[in-house]
Amino acid sequence: MSALLIQNAQIACEENDTLTPADVLVENGIISKIAKGVEAPAGAKVVDASGKVLLPGMFDTHIHMREPGQEAKETIQSGTEAAINGGVTGVVLMPNTAPAIDSAAMVRTIYDIAKRDSRIPVYTSGCITKGREGKELAGIDGMLQLGVKMLTDDGDAVPDMSLLKRAMEYASEFDCFFASHCEVLDLSGPRALNEGVVSHRLGIVGSPACSEEICMDRDIRLAHAAGARLHIQHVSSKLGMETIRWWKSMGAKLSAEVSPHHLLFNEEDIGNYDTHYKMNPPLRTAEDNKALLEGLKEGVFDIIATDHAPHTPFEKAQDFVTSPNGITGLETALVSLYHHFIKAGEFGWGLIVKRYSAEPRRMMSLEPVPIEEGGAAEFLLFDPEGQTTFTSEFMRSKSQNTPFLDKTLDGSIDLVVLGDAVLLER
Amino acid sequence: MTTRKDLLDIESLSREEIEHLLDQAGPFKELFTRSVKKVPALKGKSVLTLFYEPSTRTLSSFEVAAKRLSADVTTFDVPHSSVVKGESVKDTIDTLQSMRTDYIIVRNSMSGLPLVIARETKASVINAGDGAHAHPTQALLDGFTFREVFPEMQRKKILIVGDILHSRVARSTSTLMRKLGVEVAWLGPGSLVPKHGPRDIKRFTNYDEAMQWGPDVVYLLRIQMERQSAPYFPSLREYTKLYGVTPERFKRLEDQGTYIMHPGPVNRGVELCDAVMDYQRCLINQQVENGIAARMAVLYWLKPESDQ
Ligand SMILES: [Zn+2]
Repeated sequence: MSALLIQNAQIACEENDTLTPADVLVENGIISKIAKGVEAPAGAKVVDASGKVLLPGMFDTHIHMREPGQEAKETIQSGTEAAINGGVTGVVLMPNTAPAIDSAAMVRTIYDIAKRDSRIPVYTSGCITKGREGKELAGIDGMLQLGVKMLTDDGDAVPDMSLLKRAMEYASEFDCFFASHCEVLDLSGPRALNEGVVSHRLGIVGSPACSEEICMDRDIRLAHAAGARLHIQHVSSKLGMETIRWWKSMGAKLSAEVSPHHLLFNEEDIGNYDTHYKMNPPLRTAEDNKALLEGLKEGVFDIIATDHAPHTPFEKAQDFVTSPNGITGLETALVSLYHHFIKAGEFGWGLIVKRYSAEPRRMMSLEPVPIEEGGAAEFLLFDPEGQTTFTSEFMRSKSQNTPFLDKTLDGSIDLVVLGDAVLLER
Repeated sequence: MTTRKDLLDIESLSREEIEHLLDQAGPFKELFTRSVKKVPALKGKSVLTLFYEPSTRTLSSFEVAAKRLSADVTTFDVPHSSVVKGESVKDTIDTLQSMRTDYIIVRNSMSGLPLVIARETKASVINAGDGAHAHPTQALLDGFTFREVFPEMQRKKILIVGDILHSRVARSTSTLMRKLGVEVAWLGPGSLVPKHGPRDIKRFTNYDEAMQWGPDVVYLLRIQMERQSAPYFPSLREYTKLYGVTPERFKRLEDQGTYIMHPGPVNRGVELCDAVMDYQRCLINQQVENGIAARMAVLYWLKPESDQ
């Protein structure tokens, strides 16, 4: 593609909610001009973006691609196509593959597969402990040498506190941070379900929110003592949000994420054992939804991340107790956040750009990709007047374990551009 | 009265449906006094029992109920020893489909599993107990027994005593009683009386306070001996001391004219002392007999899709 001209776009930025109307010209993958009434160069592809919002590409730091080991659920190829379908132009993978990503060799394997199969940049996190077993430290230096920034045993907390503290003391010397999946197993029930009215009604032992909150506090204190930088993953409760707010006010080196599903759904949605609402940490209460939204608006949460967790239809069709935790999120995040929050006036586009594009990149020591002259083209075009129906034909993920399956929401992603390539056009 | 394909819980039944089932159970019970105890209502129909958890009492109650309706009963042999995974249940469902059975009676330790089977088969599925979730036919037989003693159930009081947290009987029977206007309270150790139940259920952790509430029926749950190892309470002795119907407490129940119910089998000397078994107002044996009648009513009422 030699040149691309987006006419009459409304450009969003992370600083505020103001949309700037302009034409955007991309030449050789670089944004060469932003102005009104830009002339299309000869042979340029012209896109009419009237009424549409131009956003920097989203960046999702909490992705399970399942490759290697569980390719029936997802592969790096299908997962990154799903990302593109949802306006996400960069991802960070979680290391709970089989085998786990716990060594330089495994990181290299992931990057080799991504190089061959992905049209967007793929980064990976690395394990804290070998095989995520919580017993010995993983090959931390080798992974960091290859550019890994985030260390996590996501899917589980590291149960041994002294081991975690030592890992933090050891690695804080390097340019990396720790990410915590917070859960005290002694307290959490055998199944991902909040301990509350729904767990009572369904007759399944639930996990109280304090199982998550205690571990959160534990890990923050350990990181504080070790001098490490810490990121808290998928916070699900009001007191969890308050814990982070308090520690931030104490000056802890701390960041945190919230997922769209913890903002949008609560335990009542589970109804009669609907496994599309089974995830870990579990969906909590309507009061928690409210508190998390408040935390996002206030900046207690630095980033939005989906915890994209694909499972096959067969697995999710089992009974609630047996079926695995997790839902997909890459393809539904942006549209559902628009439909439920932006359209409803809860927050504006600035928050999305900041929390789902710019800050996640900064967290990974990457530069944000604002839409400005001289910058590389990495953006998407969002139509607020459009609609998206999440049919299985629409979905590019191998798995369709999402509560949005076959639902129609307002808003659609019409164009995704990365460098000089149009990755998606609808 | 409209019919349903499955009976999975009490929650989804309306008050009218529950009353209809209890009304139906009456004539079936009368049948037991005749010399020929069978009716041809389900002649030619096949009933399959699928018990992943052993329970001789419930299983034989269902078998007798089905046979008295002239149905053919098959026991599907499932392994009790190994942990049954969801995947193998799926395989079983495929097998069941090809057997073209009309009714499947299923008991499983996983909450919600009968729903999965009901979704996948044309047969009517009856939940004979799933995990700590529901045991609807137990609730129906309890309701039927209660109504025999108190034909006007409105504002009568039932106190359910024991391990409420893990009890599907407590859940289903409480739900049914509330739907019929009975006031429900729970009594047990604080670790076994869930905080998150419905708001209109009173919660007691002290026996005397519970008795002052003035229950018409005290419903004792079976304390699982296995739980002794889990530290929900310090020892069975302590449990009996605090919550069991000891001879002294039994005296008080007698004086107050309180009825006793229990889903069986009873741990004598734990939930209740021996003397209770001969008590005139002990309804435990009546419950067993009514169990057959209530289950006949359920089988007679459900309508398998294979019928249509
Ligand atoms: Zn996690």
